[in-house]
Amino acid sequence: MKRWRLIFKRLGWALATILFVVVLNFFLFRIMPGDPARQGIRDPRLTPASIAAIRVRFGLDKPVINCFQSLNPVKLGDCNVNPLDTQFFIYGRNLLKGDLGISFYFNRPVTEILRERFWNTVLLIGLGQILAIMLGVVFGLFAAWKARTAVDYSALISGLVAWSLPTFWLAIILLFWGTSVGFPIGGKATPGMSSYPLSQQFGDLLHHLFLPTLAYTIIYMGEYMLIMRSSLLDVLAEDYILAAKAKGLSVFQILKDHALKNAMLPLVTIIAINLGFTVAGAVQIETVFSWPGLGGAIFESVARKDYPVLQGAFLLIAVSVIIANLLADLTYSYLDPRVQVD
Amino acid sequence: MKQKIVYILVLAALILSACSGGAQTSTVRIGWSNGPDSLNPGVAWLAEAYTIYELVYDSMYDLNLDSTFTLSLADSVERSDDGLVYTFKIKPGIKWHDGQPFTAKDIAFSYTLYKAHDDFPTLNSYTEHFVSSEAPDDTTFVLTLDQAIPNLESKLVFLYILPEHIWKDHTEKAAEFENLEMIGTGPFMMKEYKPNEFIRLEVNKDYFQGRAKVDQAIFQVFASPDVLAQAIKTGQVDMVTELPNTSVESLKSAENVKVAVGAPFAPGLTDIIFNQVAPENCPSEADGGVCSGHPALRDKQVRLALAYATDKKKLIDLVMVGYATPGIALIPDGMGEWFNTSIKDFPYDVKKANQLLDDAGYVDANRDGVREMPDASRDLKFRLNWPSSSIIDPRMAELLGEMWKAIGIAVEPQAIEDDALTSKCCPALDYDIMLWGWVADPDPATLLIIPATDQIVTGYNETGYSNPRYDELYVQQGTELDHAKRVQMVWEMQQIVHDDVVYIIPFYEQQVQAYRTDRFTGWLDNQPKLALEDVTSIMLIEPVK
Repeated sequence: MKRWRLIFKRLGWALATILFVVVLNFFLFRIMPGDPARQGIRDPRLTPASIAAIRVRFGLDKPVINCFQSLNPVKLGDCNVNPLDTQFFIYGRNLLKGDLGISFYFNRPVTEILRERFWNTVLLIGLGQILAIMLGVVFGLFAAWKARTAVDYSALISGLVAWSLPTFWLAIILLFWGTSVGFPIGGKATPGMSSYPLSQQFGDLLHHLFLPTLAYTIIYMGEYMLIMRSSLLDVLAEDYILAAKAKGLSVFQILKDHALKNAMLPLVTIIAINLGFTVAGAVQIETVFSWPGLGGAIFESVARKDYPVLQGAFLLIAVSVIIANLLADLTYSYLDPRVQVD
Repeated sequence: MKQKIVYILVLAALILSACSGGAQTSTVRIGWSNGPDSLNPGVAWLAEAYTIYELVYDSMYDLNLDSTFTLSLADSVERSDDGLVYTFKIKPGIKWHDGQPFTAKDIAFSYTLYKAHDDFPTLNSYTEHFVSSEAPDDTTFVLTLDQAIPNLESKLVFLYILPEHIWKDHTEKAAEFENLEMIGTGPFMMKEYKPNEFIRLEVNKDYFQGRAKVDQAIFQVFASPDVLAQAIKTGQVDMVTELPNTSVESLKSAENVKVAVGAPFAPGLTDIIFNQVAPENCPSEADGGVCSGHPALRDKQVRLALAYATDKKKLIDLVMVGYATPGIALIPDGMGEWFNTSIKDFPYDVKKANQLLDDAGYVDANRDGVREMPDASRDLKFRLNWPSSSIIDPRMAELLGEMWKAIGIAVEPQAIEDDALTSKCCPALDYDIMLWGWVADPDPATLLIIPATDQIVTGYNETGYSNPRYDELYVQQGTELDHAKRVQMVWEMQQIVHDDVVYIIPFYEQQVQAYRTDRFTGWLDNQPKLALEDVTSIMLIEPVK
């Protein structure tokens, strides 16, 4: 029963946080300088009539909220307007309907743009994270088990190097190497592939996935390896491990039944947080490999002041981080009985 | 065992080769760093979108690479004596990509649609003078204007003709129509489009001007320009439309790759902008005028001295790695006959620059290395700003600072975020010197309007320059139907802007492209403008035998 109360309480906080993010999201983009109707483009062909018409189409001519016509520059407006006709309430109402607005730049619904990019990112980052976790745990385990030997030291150094490598640099090096041995230079699929059988499309996808996933895995594997190693070293120094050794249990049994479960706890937290940020994509990797993901979309939209896309993407990231943290909280309290359920 | 393996390998090889596509279709793959932002010809901003429109649609005129126009859909055009009515005789037998017949009625429909939509960002100015578009019969199109204008071709060239039978259901919210099918009359048909990934076009075998020699064209987006050089080096693309100037050297030594340099399809200019607005022309506070410019910049002698102290060759070599042509006039040199070739530029002469300032009374009385105003009220210290999105401006600002230091001028360099800089620039005129640039339309009028007095309050006149003779010429060239006379007026306007040192134009950027010599031949790289992705080039290339 206590567990359910805990879950509901956590859920309530998660929802409140999401609500806060939704409101913050809205005001943040309206406080920034610049006129989205011009999209930052200086073009003498853009007549005042055009700018006015574009503003109407994107709903920018309505007051931001009662008493404020616009926030940057601050222009006061009518306090008695119908609140349902302000940008804030239209934004909220559309959000409930699942409508994230129209991209200023692409003139397409934001939900469509984000949906395409979302799955591309999840594919790349998800695969990269899973491989990084598996390899990181295995190497960390080896390093801790063979602590203070040559194996440990080389693993430690390579982990540190991998984690501190500049992503952009590593990506370009891999690209130069990869393209010289036949990997594609970028993108998600070879153009025209959609007319080929599914098995070939799948092979083509893997072919394109290889280099970006490799780059991502190398970077994150370092992080997980280091954490796994230090966490396991801590656990192996405990008295109950010594007792287990004295009892005559094999190394494998000790690791399986006693050490690993406890050593995994910090890793669970880190994994959950990283998975939450999965949705933000890896901007550098996506740019170098021309992978059409969310990270790249955010990066491009910032330069173009494409606020609807940015609003939608930020909301998506916030929601996924909040959900990931929620799951981490619950998983942790399930795994570790020392954590009090309050 | 070995035999079995060989057997399997051979079988695999056969299957793979059989699977790799059927007949001998030739496909040209082109790499660029940005995809079309929209398939709707009314709303796109990017040059890449227009490249695709040129391939899939037709408009009344083709823009050639020497800046001349050729009639496209029509056999002939007649202009009425008062210049208000144009009658086009449309070629018969043209078909849409979906097989429907093309008629003059589609033209009338398209122009009416463009005119009716204020929210088509760039097309509004093109339809400004349209009164009516009619098609009395299937092969006659009549356009009526409210004013006689000399440059109708440049207005029509980007108004792509849309199929009435598809667009008639979207006339209400035309700007939101995604147009994913993209049915046009052009030399290529749109087959597959993944936004920001690639777009695949197939040849239109029945194109009325004759079919292109290549069967398929794929334009692929590479998010990082550095990747483009690698893409063409490894042969994963056959042509790239742009390259970072720094990667050109390494490409020149690559096998089977040829680098081409020329004026861009949409010529542009980089400019050093002086805030020289006279107090009486400053926009009112209500209109957003601040006018905080340094008073010394209002003195032509100061601007002239700065011009003499600017080493354009050094800027081109260091900032553009040599891939730019020296700047002189407001109209770039890629604009064909519109560019005034008779202007003599101020040479790089530091001694003369110092002399000019001494003679005008700007001396360095307190010996701190910086000259002061004649009344010693302030130093000649100017704020130097540029948009933070620019890659070349930081280096250019650094070099200009050094060059002008040699004549006793100090600068305060500062990058400012693009939108914030626009707010400071105009009509606020709250800056001293700015580095920015413009991209030209085929017709010079879009650039010539910038220094006009009535554009100070709209914000396009970024310098605050005001010259009644210039304003007069601008109005005249807008209605002068005699082409030779109009060219003369445009030349005179450039001379005025140059003589008054309204700007310093350091250079006109060149376009750098590269193509593989072992895949396709016939790339059009010997024209005044370089645009290998333009329809003119794509129509001519054929596979290397």
